[in-house]
Amino acid sequence: MSTTGTTGTTTGEPSGAAARTAGKTTGKTTGKTTGRTARRGTARGTGRGTTERRLARAGWLYASPALTLIAAVTLFPILFSVVLSFSEVRLSYGGFRIEGFTTDNYAALAHSSAWFESLVFTLGFTLVTVVLELALGTAAALVLERLGAARGWILAVLLLPWAMINVVAAQLWGYLYNGTYGVVTWAIEALGGGEPAILGRPVPAMAAMAVADIWKTTPFVAIIVLAGLMQIPRDVYEAAEIDGSGPWTTFWRVTLPQLRPILAIAVLFRTLQAFGVFDLPFVLTQGGPGTATQSLAILGYKTLFQNLSIGPGAAVATSTAALVMGCCLLFLRAFRAQVDEGGR
Amino acid sequence: MRNQTTRGWRRYINVVNIGALIIVVLTTAPLYWMATASFKGTGEISASPPTLLPGHPTTGNYADAFGGNSLGRYLFNSALVSVVSTVVVLALAFFAGYALARLPMRGRGPIMIALLMISVFPAIAVVTPLYLLERSAGMLNSYQGLIIPYIAFNLPFSIWILRNYLLGVPRALEEAATVDGAGPLRTVLSVILPLARPGLFTAGVFTFTATWAEFLMALTLNSEDSFRTVPVGMALFSSQYTVPYGTIFAGAMVATVPIAILVLVFRRSVISGMTSGAVKG
Repeated sequence: MSTTGTTGTTTGEPSGAAARTAGKTTGKTTGKTTGRTARRGTARGTGRGTTERRLARAGWLYASPALTLIAAVTLFPILFSVVLSFSEVRLSYGGFRIEGFTTDNYAALAHSSAWFESLVFTLGFTLVTVVLELALGTAAALVLERLGAARGWILAVLLLPWAMINVVAAQLWGYLYNGTYGVVTWAIEALGGGEPAILGRPVPAMAAMAVADIWKTTPFVAIIVLAGLMQIPRDVYEAAEIDGSGPWTTFWRVTLPQLRPILAIAVLFRTLQAFGVFDLPFVLTQGGPGTATQSLAILGYKTLFQNLSIGPGAAVATSTAALVMGCCLLFLRAFRAQVDEGGR
Repeated sequence: MRNQTTRGWRRYINVVNIGALIIVVLTTAPLYWMATASFKGTGEISASPPTLLPGHPTTGNYADAFGGNSLGRYLFNSALVSVVSTVVVLALAFFAGYALARLPMRGRGPIMIALLMISVFPAIAVVTPLYLLERSAGMLNSYQGLIIPYIAFNLPFSIWILRNYLLGVPRALEEAATVDGAGPLRTVLSVILPLARPGLFTAGVFTFTATWAEFLMALTLNSEDSFRTVPVGMALFSSQYTVPYGTIFAGAMVATVPIAILVLVFRRSVISGMTSGAVKG
């Protein structure tokens, strides 16, 4: 594959990178020692300590504009959002006032059926789309791996949905699902499905949203799984063949275990994204019918910017973020080995 | 697998070809519908049964999108915001990525983890404080009000890409430059920068694509018509009663074609970015 070459160069020095990713001291020490040994080999070995310090200072100098900006514009709002969720906030003309500490915003969440329904919908949507995207993406990658000259072409085609603006994709699917002239509606009617009213009923609306999401993001899963497939050494397959293993057994016993690290990465990133889904329901269903497709992000947005309830909205947003980060940490803990291995 | 023989080989290839055909059809069918609908007249676009090809192809939708609606304005806003954000992100991320890949700073591991967490942080959780802060500072509905958060939220991923890329660049070249008497900054600019080009392409395409498509921040921070970006404009084209699909799809085509060309031209960079571990959908 033409892309493997690029991948190889980009991801060079995998073990060191992975170890440092995990923030493990072992990896760091090894990296440093090699660096030192290399430098000791040169003539300037004596001033090693000072050189090291000087280089570290240069490092902070180079990194500080980026890191300062990130801290100011991302970390500060993240913390501020937590503060807001524990406050009573009043909007005034051109500004806002924070009046006192309160846990009411979270207490309200705990008693809110809207929040609970959103949570269940978001979890269900995440589970269904991630599972289907992984299954379909892996199937597509297996097909692509076995293709000859056409592969480059198909990869290019697969990048189109990925690169498309979410909002545009959502409008497009809204048209396809349209109750009177949508082509999907027409196809279902033609196949004898009656009048489907896809976006007008809760379960079909949820399914329709899942299909649109799967269409948009399966290509991404397929592309990274393909990269994982290309890295499986040929002799593993040869060994399986000599042992008389059929294609089905080979897939479950050989291919899938080898793909674990890359699948773990795909699950992690798809889950985090699906959990924050906003653009698709905003355009396609506005959270409806009723509140059937109201994701946590939509609920947060409505509370914040339509009802202008800043404190309660911040509580929705912060709890969503906490759930996402919690999942992320649990996942990294459980799959640390896989993620390190795949996260080159 | 090409080395499998005769009958089995043939059957296999057939399954693969059918699979490939299904992939292509499922991926392109919705796009085909968008492309053809953008050339259909008002009556035909809402015809049932839908027509496979426009009966009377027209460019009226495009005229509407640019004329009666502010598509041109949205495109200008999007291009300005995305280009400025991408350029600044690349400049800052290059130096930070170099430092984190090469220079012996303490705490590089935790910094990389923190960057990873920030790059996947749900936008809804930061949009409120950003909104309140910009409201107080009078920065709502301005270009800088959108560009600054875009830079900050796209930096982490670009730093990851560039750091990972630079880890693969041999140290010998820098050491040679140092021996030749080049100062550290000179070494970075004249030796590392040219070598980092593929990494910069990857980071650049990802940042541009992400800022071009970003919706939630643009919707909340720049809601005024004259500052809307393409995604916000496209989402708010629909009025409460009718959805002007002709105009929307003309706009969709105009907004999709440049990004499609960009991604196809740089497709190796895109694929290497997706597969380089710090993966992002």
